[in-house]
Order: sequence, then structure tokens, then C-alpha cells
Amino acid sequence: MNEKTRFMLALITPAALVLMLFQIVPILTGANVSFRDWTLHDPKRTWVGLANYVHVLRDVEFLEIVLPNTFGFMFATVALSLLLGLMIALMLNKRFPGRWLVQSFVLLPLMVAPVIAAIMIRWMFNDQFGVVNAALEGLGLAPISWLTQRWTTFLVILLTDVWLWTPWFGLILLAGLQSLPREPFEAARIDAASAWRTFRYITLPMLRPVMVVCIVIRAIDAFRTFDIVWTISGGGPARATEVFSIYAYVESFQFLNLARGSAAAVIGAIIIVIFALLLYRILNRFVEVSK
Amino acid sequence: MDIAPARGGGFFSALAPRGKAVFFALTATAVCLLFAFPAFWLVLTSLRPGTGVYYVHRGTEFTIDNFHDVLSQEIVLKALFNSFMISTAATVLSLGVTATSGYMLSRFKGPIPNTWFSLIYIFRCVPYVAWVLPLYFVTQRLHIFDSYWGLLLPHIAVHICFFSWIMKGFFDGIDPSMEYAAMIDGCSRWGAFWRVAMPAAIPGLTALAILCWLYTWNEFLFALILTAHETPILTVVMAQFVHELGMEWHLMSATAVIALVPALIVTLFGQRYVIRGLRI
Repeated sequence: MNEKTRFMLALITPAALVLMLFQIVPILTGANVSFRDWTLHDPKRTWVGLANYVHVLRDVEFLEIVLPNTFGFMFATVALSLLLGLMIALMLNKRFPGRWLVQSFVLLPLMVAPVIAAIMIRWMFNDQFGVVNAALEGLGLAPISWLTQRWTTFLVILLTDVWLWTPWFGLILLAGLQSLPREPFEAARIDAASAWRTFRYITLPMLRPVMVVCIVIRAIDAFRTFDIVWTISGGGPARATEVFSIYAYVESFQFLNLARGSAAAVIGAIIIVIFALLLYRILNRFVEVSK
Repeated sequence: MDIAPARGGGFFSALAPRGKAVFFALTATAVCLLFAFPAFWLVLTSLRPGTGVYYVHRGTEFTIDNFHDVLSQEIVLKALFNSFMISTAATVLSLGVTATSGYMLSRFKGPIPNTWFSLIYIFRCVPYVAWVLPLYFVTQRLHIFDSYWGLLLPHIAVHICFFSWIMKGFFDGIDPSMEYAAMIDGCSRWGAFWRVAMPAAIPGLTALAILCWLYTWNEFLFALILTAHETPILTVVMAQFVHELGMEWHLMSATAVIALVPALIVTLFGQRYVIRGLRI
């Protein structure tokens, strides 16, 4: 082992140790469970191979509700917060009086704990005491029982997630915007290009690499969302808004079948690893073409 | 959402300059209101007496007793202190650990960096649910459950994947020729990393430190599962006002508002550095 290799290994040793002990070991322990019969009446924990995986992959709930919910949620939240974050970044990239104030307001969701935000949102959308229904009644509209129907519940969860994550997109895209070179914009102004064309043909292509990283990171996180869904709806009404983290949790701790829950978690992890890789490739291809 | 036209230059240019400014101001206000509303509601709820929270939007009684009530509870004070210590320590340690790992990913090519990158990429994708329960047993086995280390080390593990990735981006943006020059002049590899590359990465590190602090301060799931009575954590204490002790919305909101203050300070002072530093 030469000196360079030793240096490389020394650089990653602390991170690798922590990762090993607190991420890889627990995850592999969980994966081990997924190959066994972990129900209460089998104290021997018999090895059952892929039986748990087969069960999850044949579960109608998983295939027809959980997967569409998870992917739908992921696409919707990433697209909406990217769009809103981009608008906010473009707005904050201009100079105007009170910019600092607007920026501070926009960053508010980053400061509130997501679980508190979710509790608060559930309260605001409460059908009897919530402010949203009070506002609807004030406008002369019929109150809606938001959290008892699938699509309205889904909408509330989605809006909460978009609210929480738009500032994150806005912040990173703003940083990206401010690091762009000025010359192309000056050239565009001299050529009297319209604001829209400047945005479409200069800003957007130059911002794409940052956007790709943002989208991939956020898509992975959105795919495994747990806490806000759990706090707002608990996967309900009647399991209709379960995403796959919730499915794994419910299987493990409410139906007390840890093995099946772990199998679901592993399946989800495999799906997102492959999906994120494809997404990264496809988006990068776009970037190459647009150059 | 009603802010769509903010982007539309075509629409903007159709308006007269004056109308444009008014329109812009309106959009900015709408965005502010939209983002501030849940937080504003939280503050409002925290100022209402316990009997008034069911109709926060009606009634005019306001009180600051909630804050007094909350701050006189020992567990809240302890949780404030613990959360502060954990967030700060997690920030320092995570950055220390990932700066070296990101530097390695950025400066070297070959099988070792590739393996390391795929490892952190794959393990970033595993959902927390598959992870926290076995983690509970690991911390039990190591006798660090319900202690600072028992929460700190898993937090660092969470940050390793994401931060190494971002740090790689920071170091990619720094020209390595300065480090080569330093090494030719007799600096060791560590010296080149520590004295040349690290100072250049400080804007990025500051940005990441702020985000890391906020994230840990607000984190819930790990705190819930990996701590018990010995080490109360603020987010868990807050959530318990609503779950276990009945529906004490006013107390939960008051605690949440108190928790908001340090986060607010960090964000208000840090936002300039975050934007300057976050260039992937």
C-alpha cells in the first residue's frame, strides 16, 4: 500500500467507521430479518428465503395503492417545489427594497420542525375547529372534511411537503443563480432579448446542472417521506394515503410482522436506488443535449 | 398558487413600468404571506389561553402565560439545552468527518473513491424506517442508548452521505493546482488539505454548517426512537404536548415558538453565508 492509498483511506476512515456501525450494520440486520419468519408464533425465526418479498410484491395494497401514492407524491412534490423554488430564486435574485425581509419570510419553513408543521397543518385543516374551514365558511362556501377523503388528504400532505421544501430549492437555486457568469446576460441585454427568452435560453440551461443534483437528492428524500404523512394522516383514511415508508412501518409495528415490513423497506430501497440512477442519467443526458 | 406570473417576463413587459412594480410588490407580499402563514398561526395559537385554542380565529383574549407555564417545566429547559448541545456537536463532527471524505471523492480517481461513492449513494436511498429500529438495538448493545453519543453518532451517519456529495462539489470548484504547488514546496498531503484546500472551502462549509444545525435542531424520528427520559429532546417534548398529555395546543405552540427563536437567529444571520456558500 503506497503513501497515496494510505492518505485516501485515512481521509475516509472516520466517516466509514460511523457509516459502518450506525448505518450499514443496522440496515443489514434489518435485511437479515426480511428473510426470516418473524411472526410471534415462530420462536426459531426460520429462514424462509424470499417468501416475505413475494408476499409484499403480491399484496394488492402495495401494488395498487402504495406504489402509485409514493411515485405520485414524489413527482408532484418535486415538480411543484422546483417550480416554486425557481420562481422565488428568480425573484430574490433581483434587487428591490425589502428583499431581505421577503427572503427571511420565505426561509421560515426551514426553521419550523417538520413534525410541528405537520401537527399545525392537521390542526388548521381540522373539519370542526380548523381555520381553513372557518375561512371557507366566511367566504360562504361549504366546509370540507379534508382529512377523511383520500384526495383531499393527499392534497394537504402534498401542500405541506411543498411548503417545507420550496425554500430549500429556492436557496440552492438562488446560490446557483448568483454564481452564474454575467457576460451572457449582458450580451443578451445588448441584443435586446426579452426577459422570457433570456430566461429560456440563458438562465435555464446554465442552471441545469444545479437543478439536476437538487432534483435527484430531493426525489430520493420524497420517496422515503415518513414523518409528515404519519403525523397528518397516519396513512389513512383506511390506508388510502399510505406511502411506502408508512407501509413498511404499519406492517412492522401494527401488524407486528417485522420481517414483512423489512422486506417492504428493502424493496423500496432497491426501487429508489435504480430509479434515482436512471433519473440522474436521463437528466444529465438532457444537460448534455442542451449544451 | 397565485404567484405563477412572477416568472413570466412576457407578461411583465406587457405592463407599464409602474404597473410592473406594483405587480411585483403584490407577488412578493403574496409569497411572504403564503410562506409565513403556518408559522404565524403557530405564534397566534401560542398567545391564546388554553380555553381559546379551539377557536383561535375568534375571540380576543391574549396571554403570555403559556410561555411562563412551559418555561417553568424542568423537562422543557433540559430539552432546550440537550437539543442545543446535540445540534452543535452534530454539526461540528459531521462537517469534520465529511470534509475529508468529500475532499477524497473530489481529488482522487480509481476503485477506492468509486466504491466509497457507490456505498454512500446506495445507503442514502434506504428509508429511515428500515433503519431506526435495528439502530435502536445497536445503541442498546453499545450502551449508548438515551445518551448524547447515542443520538449524535446516528445523526452523523445520516449526514455522511448527503454532505460528502455536496462537499465533493465544493472541492471540485476549487482549483487543485494551489495544493500541488504547496506540495512541491514541501507541504505534506495533510498540510495541503488542511492549509490550502480547507480555507478555500470555508464559504461552503459555513453554509452546510447552518443547514446541518437547523436540520438536527428540527429532527424528530431519530430523537423519538433513540432517546428516553434521560435525554429529552425538544421536538419530542413538543410533540408529546399533543399526544400523551391530551391536546395542549397552546403549550405545544408556545414551546415551538421558543424553539423557533434560535433557529430564527441562526437563519437570519446565516442566510447570506448560505447563499454565498451553496454552489454545487
